[in-house]
Amino acid sequence: MSRLKRIISLLVPVIVFPSVFFYDVIRANVDLELTSVSVIREFAVVVAFFAIYYYIEGRKPRLSKAIPREIGKLFVISFSVLTVAGMVTLVPNPQGALAEFLSIPLVIILGIASILTLLTARDLVLHKRKKGTKRNFVILMALLLTTCVVNTSLLAIDRLLTTGLFVVAIVFVVINSFRQSWIVYLSRREKLYCIVYTALLFFTNVFLSVLVTNTSAVNKLISSFSSPLHTFIQLNAILAAVYFGMAFISTLFHLPTAEVFERKQSELTSLHNLSRLITQVFDFNDLLNTVTQMTLEVCGAGTSWLELVQPSGDDRHISVNVVARRNITTEQIERLIGGTTPSLRQVMVQTKKVSLIDDILSDRRTKHMKQNAQLKGSMLSVPLISHEELIGILHATKEMEYGFDQDDIDVLTTFADHVTIAIENSKLIAKSIERERLHQELMVAQRMQKRLLPQSVPNFPSVDIAAVSESSMEVGGDYYDFVQLTEGRFGIVVGDVSGKGVSAAFYMAEVKGIFLSLSKLCSSPRELLVRANETLMNSLERNAFVSLIYVMVDTKHASMVLARAGHCPVVYISSEGYELVRPTGLGLGLTNGSLFEESTEERKIRLKLGDICIFYTDGITESRDKKGDEYGYDRLVKTAVAAKNLDACRIKDAILNDVRTFTGDTVYGDDMTLVILKWLGN
Amino acid sequence: MSDFKIHHREGEGVNVLELKGYLDAHTAPDLENAFQQLLNEKRYRIVVNFKDLSYISSAGLGVFMAYIEDVRKNKGDIKLTNMTPKVYNVFDLLGFPILYEIYKDEKEAIGKFKDGKKQ
Repeated sequence: MSRLKRIISLLVPVIVFPSVFFYDVIRANVDLELTSVSVIREFAVVVAFFAIYYYIEGRKPRLSKAIPREIGKLFVISFSVLTVAGMVTLVPNPQGALAEFLSIPLVIILGIASILTLLTARDLVLHKRKKGTKRNFVILMALLLTTCVVNTSLLAIDRLLTTGLFVVAIVFVVINSFRQSWIVYLSRREKLYCIVYTALLFFTNVFLSVLVTNTSAVNKLISSFSSPLHTFIQLNAILAAVYFGMAFISTLFHLPTAEVFERKQSELTSLHNLSRLITQVFDFNDLLNTVTQMTLEVCGAGTSWLELVQPSGDDRHISVNVVARRNITTEQIERLIGGTTPSLRQVMVQTKKVSLIDDILSDRRTKHMKQNAQLKGSMLSVPLISHEELIGILHATKEMEYGFDQDDIDVLTTFADHVTIAIENSKLIAKSIERERLHQELMVAQRMQKRLLPQSVPNFPSVDIAAVSESSMEVGGDYYDFVQLTEGRFGIVVGDVSGKGVSAAFYMAEVKGIFLSLSKLCSSPRELLVRANETLMNSLERNAFVSLIYVMVDTKHASMVLARAGHCPVVYISSEGYELVRPTGLGLGLTNGSLFEESTEERKIRLKLGDICIFYTDGITESRDKKGDEYGYDRLVKTAVAAKNLDACRIKDAILNDVRTFTGDTVYGDDMTLVILKWLGN
Repeated sequence: MSDFKIHHREGEGVNVLELKGYLDAHTAPDLENAFQQLLNEKRYRIVVNFKDLSYISSAGLGVFMAYIEDVRKNKGDIKLTNMTPKVYNVFDLLGFPILYEIYKDEKEAIGKFKDGKKQ
């Protein structure tokens, strides 16, 4: 309602009532009868009341939740008005100026009280409206209005019609008074309040309707002031008496079901809250605590606790731990459901079924609680089942024997399903966080491992070297390195730890350590491999091994010596052609002692200008295309030979490109390492 | 791709494991279980037939190394037979022929076990 409208609706009665007062006073003292002015007066009074109605309707908040309080307020107002009216009846036969003096305030307060009553009744009738509710009420209002208007003393309307209209209005009052749906939604406590208030309102309005109907002074004063208003007040009092009388009876009938209804509603609210919670609680412990709290609310239990099955590899022995509890100690829980053999808990774990104990102290399963009667009453236990696996048990107890009925069981079972989802959900979130953490750790490992490989290619004289290593996973087991030796010599190592991922990465780091320390001590590649094998035999798992190739290049004498420990053959390309250099040699970690030493050969190669040696891991040769075919030695050799006139880096790129073209979109499955050595001559 | 199957046969006191498909890091545990079961049942004369094995990775090779020592300690052996050239090449590169008896044919391997028994 805009400010202007509000001011106007207030202004109208403020102007009308004093004017009417003066008019009445004048009329009472001067014998003057002006019909047209009387009509205007009657009309002005009705309009003023409409303005008041309009004003109040705009200001009065709609009935919402605190219905009993609103009804209580209405009673206070009605009762005050009744008291005032009652006092007026004590005035013996008021006449003249006194009558005029009394009638206006009396009409105003009675009118306002009626309007408030009508608006409250309207809100109550239209509460949770159905089809037809509004229609019935609108008809009632129309009837009220019509009855009031036709009752004006100015119109000589047949008495039969006015009485008829009055009766029809009362009929609709009765029809509307059956609309009492607001009562259902009240809590038990609220209903108790409502019983009192509606009863009081009923009596107040009965008195009021009697007061404005019989020959009391009040009746006279009002009807002589304005008969439409009188009818309005009268009808309203009847309406209120009927409606609140009916409300009183309804509330009385609803009282026994109040508790049930209230509980159902709280169950619904709790269930609703929990399903919301599922998406909100990320912290696992918060969730568990909320679950026990809600269990109390959901079935009106005194205590509750939640147990979860602890994950373990052993299927035969399932361990169940209390993870959250309310109003009960761990000792009590253990005594209650862990005190017998087989314990109640074990039985639940086996049967995965709901367990109900109506009387803890007499039930066979919990009789032992008698000795120390800290807990009595009834207990309900519901399994939490996810994918047919028991993940936990939700327990609740009530102090009352036979405290859980079928409804409780149904509700708690449904609740348990929600809890299961919430817990699983929370676990999944925790898992994904953990996965993310592990991923971060792996990323750290990856950075560390990258540092274990040479950061750049060394600048040895007379050679052109290029190298690359790529892991199929975050970390890998491939290793290559260069080492500067004495007297113009240097070493190149390329190795591959069996397996992939983290375990391979650890061994790779170990191999690097071994290689770096041995390379300075050993004078020949064979010696290095033998000693590396001895060391690795002690530390490698039985099913792990390392293949490795080690070559020592002597730049002064233009030669190189290499030994192979189960590793891929070296591709050696010279002007005369190519060779897969493959001296005998066992993988490191396969066998210890003499057998390894005996079977490891060395091979010496004289280097000529433009000679190329290619060291690599099986990730290159075992790369697969879509059909599953391997890249193989032939393709490697062919590509290398075709690129032999390029520098080492370009040869490396040519081979990598060829491998990638070959594999296409298929993700290569193994770590790949490639080291190219080109002899530039002294 | 990770299709791998083991078929266990027994005859004349020799256990034959026929491998089929791809033996890699994913399928290696299957073979480990098969070996472990044989060892649990104290069967130490084992022939592994590679006829239908199309690929073996380093993790697959590791399985044989994990059990050979126990088997030999109990006077048994793991003999390998019927390898395709590709699979043989993988074993050969690592020097397995030095450590394991590898035969062209399963019968030959079983025969070796029987010869050993006679001695």
